[in-house]
Amino acid sequence: MPKHLFFFCMLLTALLLAACGEEERPVRVSLDKRQEITVRPQQPAITYAYLPQYSHTESFQRHQRLVEYLAEETGLPIRQVFPDTFAHHISMFGQGKIDISFSNPFVYISLANRFGAKAMTRIVEEDGQAEFRGQIIARRDNDTIRSVEDCRGKSWVAVDPSSAGGYLFPLGHFVDHGLTLGDFKEVVFAGGRQENVILGVYAGLHDLGTIREGALKVVENKIDINQIKVVATSRPYPGWVYAYSPRLPQEKADKIRAAMLKLDYAHDPRHRAILDAARFIGFVPSDDRDFDRVRELSQKVGLEFE
Amino acid sequence: MNKYLLKIVHGLRFRTKITLGVTLMLVFCGLSIGLTLSSMSSKALLEEGKKRGMALTAGLAFRLAEPLLAMDFLQMKNLIENVHEQYDDVIYIFLTDTRGNILSHTFTGGFPSDLLRVNLDSQTAQPVLLTTERGPVYDFNARIVLGEKNLGAVRMGLARSNMDAQIGQQRAISLLTTLGVVSLGIVLALWFARTVTLRLNRLRESAEEIVKGNLDIQAGSSLAKNCWEIMECGKRECPAYGDARRRCWYLAGTLCPNCRDKDFPLKIESCRNCPVFKSNFGDELQDLAEAFDVMAVTVKTHIEELTQREKTIARQQGLLKTIMNVTPDFITLQDSNLAYMFASKAFCDHLHRSEEEVVGKTDFDLFSAQQADLNLHEDKQILLTGRPLAKEITFKRPDGQKWLHIVKVPVHDQDGSIMGLLLTARDITMLKKYQEQLIQSQKMEDLGRLAGGVAHEINTPLGIILGYAQLLMDDITDAELLDNLKVVEKQAKVCRKIVADLLGFSRLSHSVRGPVDVNASLREVIQLVEHAFFLDRITIIAALDETLPSLNGDKERLKQVWLNLLNNAADAIGQDGAILVQTGQDVRGQIEVRVADTGMGVDDEHLQNIFDPFFTTKEVGKGTGLGLSVSFGIIKEHGGTISAVSPSPEEYLPKDFPRSGHSGPGTVFIVVLPVSGGAAHGGNLPGRLPAPSL
Repeated sequence: MPKHLFFFCMLLTALLLAACGEEERPVRVSLDKRQEITVRPQQPAITYAYLPQYSHTESFQRHQRLVEYLAEETGLPIRQVFPDTFAHHISMFGQGKIDISFSNPFVYISLANRFGAKAMTRIVEEDGQAEFRGQIIARRDNDTIRSVEDCRGKSWVAVDPSSAGGYLFPLGHFVDHGLTLGDFKEVVFAGGRQENVILGVYAGLHDLGTIREGALKVVENKIDINQIKVVATSRPYPGWVYAYSPRLPQEKADKIRAAMLKLDYAHDPRHRAILDAARFIGFVPSDDRDFDRVRELSQKVGLEFE
Repeated sequence: MNKYLLKIVHGLRFRTKITLGVTLMLVFCGLSIGLTLSSMSSKALLEEGKKRGMALTAGLAFRLAEPLLAMDFLQMKNLIENVHEQYDDVIYIFLTDTRGNILSHTFTGGFPSDLLRVNLDSQTAQPVLLTTERGPVYDFNARIVLGEKNLGAVRMGLARSNMDAQIGQQRAISLLTTLGVVSLGIVLALWFARTVTLRLNRLRESAEEIVKGNLDIQAGSSLAKNCWEIMECGKRECPAYGDARRRCWYLAGTLCPNCRDKDFPLKIESCRNCPVFKSNFGDELQDLAEAFDVMAVTVKTHIEELTQREKTIARQQGLLKTIMNVTPDFITLQDSNLAYMFASKAFCDHLHRSEEEVVGKTDFDLFSAQQADLNLHEDKQILLTGRPLAKEITFKRPDGQKWLHIVKVPVHDQDGSIMGLLLTARDITMLKKYQEQLIQSQKMEDLGRLAGGVAHEINTPLGIILGYAQLLMDDITDAELLDNLKVVEKQAKVCRKIVADLLGFSRLSHSVRGPVDVNASLREVIQLVEHAFFLDRITIIAALDETLPSLNGDKERLKQVWLNLLNNAADAIGQDGAILVQTGQDVRGQIEVRVADTGMGVDDEHLQNIFDPFFTTKEVGKGTGLGLSVSFGIIKEHGGTISAVSPSPEEYLPKDFPRSGHSGPGTVFIVVLPVSGGAAHGGNLPGRLPAPSL
């Protein structure tokens, strides 16, 4: 018995000591052996940019597949580039650093007016529309606002001064009903976020808010949207548009347009995956005339696109 | 080796063993746990360090996605430098795109090309340990991924020295903590061992004291509060009251209501609920110590009782021994093999042996073969039958014939079987003599009565014969015929004398009572015979006590006694001798007359018959054998005794008494007479009692 006990103790000790060891085998590397490095330059390609209303990574994730599809479909080298701001986007377009621009109608008008951008397709939104509207919302229990006219002298929260659905379309609607910016108690912008506008109205911080049609759906899991009523809806305007630089040869532009129009959301699962990532369901052909309504609105509300 | 080790361990003190054992256990457990925990925590620290590095790298990779997409080199550089500067242990960071271009890095003066050879695949286990000039470095590779798209990779080098320092610190703390705990444990073990062995030592010392014989010990500890203080009972008569050494639950007959009438093993159940028990009950060692104390006290009590009993037994044994030594009876005890187990002193003296020489021996060792064989058969029969035996035996000893009354009884042991033989033997020689004397006196009585009757009947015809003979003598002149008649007359007178003596012996003659001066009566007789004795050169010396009172009796008859005694003495002397006549009073005030002579004495076998009628040692014709028996009758009539002792003791016949050349051992006759005289003691035994020589 004592022999067994002794053996057991020795074994345990050995195991314990063995447990203290580490099994990593280091690789010998010299940090002092240096060499100068150079970056290999990128191959020339057609540049594709998404108006930076989201982060670069979001933009990348939404459009990378589409870019790859277009490159594959057309056989042209296409590369997505990432301007930092709307202004940067416009300036890069002007500098020829963007060949294909995906932007909202106001930026497009600006690009078209300033740099001769040409519309080639419009996207079909997830609701199946190639156009969209703005909405004027208020709390359902706010009985002082029943019509557009009731909004006079009230506090208005809008998405962003450059927001189409969230500011310009409703502003046009107010103008149509004889209300100008000066008729409101105040006009506040929510930093470009549709949700902030809805939450601001819901919390009672503001009497009315303006959002893009369909934005209410986004917050239906966060608040009781039945507490929100839509006071009025603007007329529809054309949505986001693909335009190409006048520097891009027409032939290449046509190839790209054809590839875009070829995408079949309904029947091709691969196309559906590409479009799902980009958050729309298809393309319709478009040209510059589609945007005359927007140009009218701009004039109406006093926006200048130079 | 093992044996040697075991021997050493066996030789250690118990306290050392406990301390050593606990210490070894603590060291082993402490080291086991310490090492295990240290190893675990080292691993955890290392893992934590790796995770931190991985998190830093991954975070950087996440943040670098934007500038990488925008190809914003400044932003990339800023982000990298920011992390590099923020953490001391970050040796390097660099960023590669999917084509392996190094877009940004933290090195100055070129890029270490070796880094481009290792850890290229972020899918392998991260990090990879590198040995560099700046010590071991963990190289982390984190991909910059957007969705499924790989944009590039971030590599970060994290010095392991910080982690090693942390691990070292943690190990030191573990070691110190373990050592601290083990040391504390050893101190506790020492204290524990001391506490345990202190009490064990007390027990051992107590045991040693008991071995030495000192039972007045206390192994258990004293109590803070004793039972009578807890119960506040005030029962001073309770055995537990005031006994601070023993716990009450060990004591019988305690007076608490719960434990009354129950002894220790039975009462303990009820004691368990008692507040005293709950307050004073200790652990097993205390229990043992207290039980030990109780044992000591109990043993002491028992020993005292035993000592007392031993004393009693010794006293009784002494008494028994004394009785056995003093008793003149023979008492022996033999076992079933008839060997002596005990022999009284009288028996041993009889055999002229000491007790030691007798005990263990059999009859064959002590008696003649014939006697032993006889005893053996007799004893075996008793042992077999179980019947006791009683008998009388006689044998000759130098000091005369001896009689013994023997009783042998079988001795039974507890289961009823015979285990030995008890013999008691009593010397009944005296009794036998008394018996013979009784028979003799009875014979004398009968003989006296017969002689009296015969004498009375013969007296008348004898008177007629004498009268007629005397008448004829007056008438006859023939000388020859007259001579013949004279012979008839003479013989008739002899016969009349014999008849008169017989009548006197049988007390049929008349007696005249009155005050008698014994000394005067003696002098008269001495005077009467002095002259005649002088002729035979026999001197009579009278040593008379003049203060002697007179007694009531028949003077003439007493004078006859004195005359008979003096005649007897003269006859015993023959010629040339002296007779000493003494008077006095004994302690009871009786008058004692002693007549001692220097004669030839009387043989032992004749001594008991000398008072018989017609018993004589004299030649034929010299005496009738009636003198002493007549004297015996007269003395008896006076209520006294007469006895004879031969040879005469010195106190009756002093050595310086004038003796002739052929004087014998002598005889002394002792007459004891009550002053009142009278026949009140007429029915007594013949007056030879008490005879000093018998």
